[in-house]
Amino acid sequence: MNYIVTANTDIGISKNTNQDSVSLKVMNTPQGRMALAVLCDGMGGLAKGEVASASVLRAFDRWARTSLPRLCCAPLQDGVIRAEWDAIVQEQNRLISSYGTRSGIRLGTTVVAMLITQNRYYILNVGDSRAYELSRELRVLTQDQTVVAREVAQGLLTEAQAQTDPRRSVLLQCVGASDAVAPDFFFGTPLTGAVYMLCSDGFRHEITPAEILEGLRPDRLTNEQAMRSAAAALIELNKQRWERDNITVALVRTY
Amino acid sequence: MLQIGSLVDGKYKILNKVGQGGMSVVYLAMNEKANKQWAVKEVRKDGVLDFEAVKQGLVAETDILKRLDHPYLPSIIDVIDTDESFIIIMDYIQGNSLNKALDEFGAQPQDEVIKWAKQLCDVLGYLHTRTPPIIYRDMKPANVMLKPDGNISLIDFGTAREYKEKNLADTTCLGTVGYAAPEQFGGMGQTDARTDIYCLGATLYHLVTGKNPCEPPYEIRPIREINPNLSSGLERIILKCTQRDPNDRYQSAAELMYALEHYEEVDDSYRKKQKRKLALFLAPVVLALLFAGASVWGYLSAEKQRTADYDFILAEAANESDPTTALNRYYEAITTDPTRTDAYLGNDDFSGMIDYLTRDGELTVSESSWLSCLKAGLDQKGSSGYSSTVDVLEELRAADPSGYEQVCYEIGEAYLFYYSVPVEKDRYAAAATWFQYAKEGYPIADMYCQISACLQNIAKYEKSEQHAKLYEEYQSLWSQILKLKTDANDFDDDLKLRIWNEITNMIQNNAKAFCEVTPPEEILAAIDEISADSEKITNTFLEKSVSTLRENIAATTNKILSYAETAE
Repeated sequence: MNYIVTANTDIGISKNTNQDSVSLKVMNTPQGRMALAVLCDGMGGLAKGEVASASVLRAFDRWARTSLPRLCCAPLQDGVIRAEWDAIVQEQNRLISSYGTRSGIRLGTTVVAMLITQNRYYILNVGDSRAYELSRELRVLTQDQTVVAREVAQGLLTEAQAQTDPRRSVLLQCVGASDAVAPDFFFGTPLTGAVYMLCSDGFRHEITPAEILEGLRPDRLTNEQAMRSAAAALIELNKQRWERDNITVALVRTY
Repeated sequence: MLQIGSLVDGKYKILNKVGQGGMSVVYLAMNEKANKQWAVKEVRKDGVLDFEAVKQGLVAETDILKRLDHPYLPSIIDVIDTDESFIIIMDYIQGNSLNKALDEFGAQPQDEVIKWAKQLCDVLGYLHTRTPPIIYRDMKPANVMLKPDGNISLIDFGTAREYKEKNLADTTCLGTVGYAAPEQFGGMGQTDARTDIYCLGATLYHLVTGKNPCEPPYEIRPIREINPNLSSGLERIILKCTQRDPNDRYQSAAELMYALEHYEEVDDSYRKKQKRKLALFLAPVVLALLFAGASVWGYLSAEKQRTADYDFILAEAANESDPTTALNRYYEAITTDPTRTDAYLGNDDFSGMIDYLTRDGELTVSESSWLSCLKAGLDQKGSSGYSSTVDVLEELRAADPSGYEQVCYEIGEAYLFYYSVPVEKDRYAAAATWFQYAKEGYPIADMYCQISACLQNIAKYEKSEQHAKLYEEYQSLWSQILKLKTDANDFDDDLKLRIWNEITNMIQNNAKAFCEVTPPEEILAAIDEISADSEKITNTFLEKSVSTLRENIAATTNKILSYAETAE
């Protein structure tokens, strides 16, 4: 399996800083080509959210450079990935919160990380950034760790109410501002000829799933240029609809 | 930033930094003149984007806050506005925050938590009852200091408002917003006293379970799921505090305080104890009712059995041809149930003992002994085999006074009309022994008694030849007879005839004496009246009695007339 990857980010229409961080890597390993996408949506009262998001991003980069080659000597195992990624998140949580305590601020970040190998994908998620799979249809691979998502799951709110609920951007947990973090993990088999998308919540609030699917149809995203402009078009659409948050999207096209 | 060692307001020497919050730093300071320690809280202006708004809120609030005086609140002494910061001088509270206690020791002992809860409730109640009410909005273990004396103090107060307003335009995390009640996110109504109740509930949950409600699973579970040893009463209180809808929570700190003071009473074990007490009380009650029911049932069925026995014996007696056996049967029926009159008087189905004895129009002396025996009481064989004497008439009198009188009256009449003794006064005397018990219900019985008394006296005076008294007695007897004649009109024809016969006989027997005490014309008039009345009786069954009476009247009239002539 081969990959075309692109990432787009935009500060949005009202923020002074872009606190989102995104990274994409395509690697040749003894286990075949792999793609690693990491997206973090930072938050913080004192415009230090980007510190948190970048810190987590770099930790995953380091892991891809140092630990992954070692793991690739043998076929990857779910449990190993889970354990190593969980350790990264726990360490980052500790580092960021002690930084926050030292500086007298509260800051934190969401993180969604996706590793696509020849026959399996691995996703870690903390917070409300999402991973999608686009083929003929649009499928959300992650589960939001937000107050409203939990209430919808508990049957206290409907999907429609959740859209307008004042707490829609309150996370259950994030890296750096929770005393304890329990990341979600999702594993599965990647499709060939599909698009895997990671995005921050800014990308998906104002546009509909149908618009995302229409804008990023795998059969049209045949080269990097097409992917980049398709993503930019959707970001533009978001801004036209007064999305105020930072907007970031990462795309991995498999073929 | 204040420098360590610098003087604030010329009085407070900054000793060191003791804490740091989001936008403020707390220092320990010493007023060297007074040799007293104070806490100095510096709210940095550069740390707050919209400081002017914050400051206005602060200035308005500090005037109120300065007046607050509560044992669980640090007093605010002074507020100083400088170029870079806003400085608040307040009591220095020694001790550690409950947050620290949680970090070090985990879940806190339930009794301690309830003690703190009451104190926090006290403070919140105090704040909520100020005018205007003060809502704390940020109750959490980190804001509660545990003092060395074991009491608590609610700190971080007064600067609360500036960062309690949650800004939700940005993505935030539960961990940073604290135990925010649902309405604190906006859009769900105003925050009020019940918001503090929610946060206090969440704080108690955290303290007593060691589980931060802002961490997975992000919800407040019943506390006994985490530690089954905790009180179910406290569980109920915490769940009620942390309801989503403010209307479902305790509505005031006072209400919560009451619940906390009585938490053991909503405890399952307490309820069980009360239920056990109730069961202990109910068991004897149920048993008592059961036994009462059983005894009533037993009594009723015995009663039913007795009634059946009684009726059976009575039927046997009435149909018995041998008089002795029959009368013994009547006795048996009477002893079976002395309180019933059927054996004496008969009922719709069977004739009674009195009718049986007088069925031949005569009560012989030997027959009468069966009646007089009743007064002495009847022998009854008890279940033990020994016989005992039962005063059947007394038992009847006690159970049924009017039935008793009727029995006595009927027996009296049986003696009066059927007793086969030749002497009139003896017959009356025998009847009177029964009539005396029926005087109340039967005025005529009283009259018979008086007549009987007259007859006894007459006999007595005749013997002793006391003529004057004799004369009086006859006068009295005559007036009784007249009265009897008048009263007879109230009775049915049968009885009337008997009474008239009785009167006529009486006149005939005492004709001579009556003619002396009263004019013979009066006697004749009375007899004529009886005669005239008797003609009114049309009942054909009584024809024979009427004709007997006529003959009797004719004889009497002749006798009177002869005496009258003699007198002339």
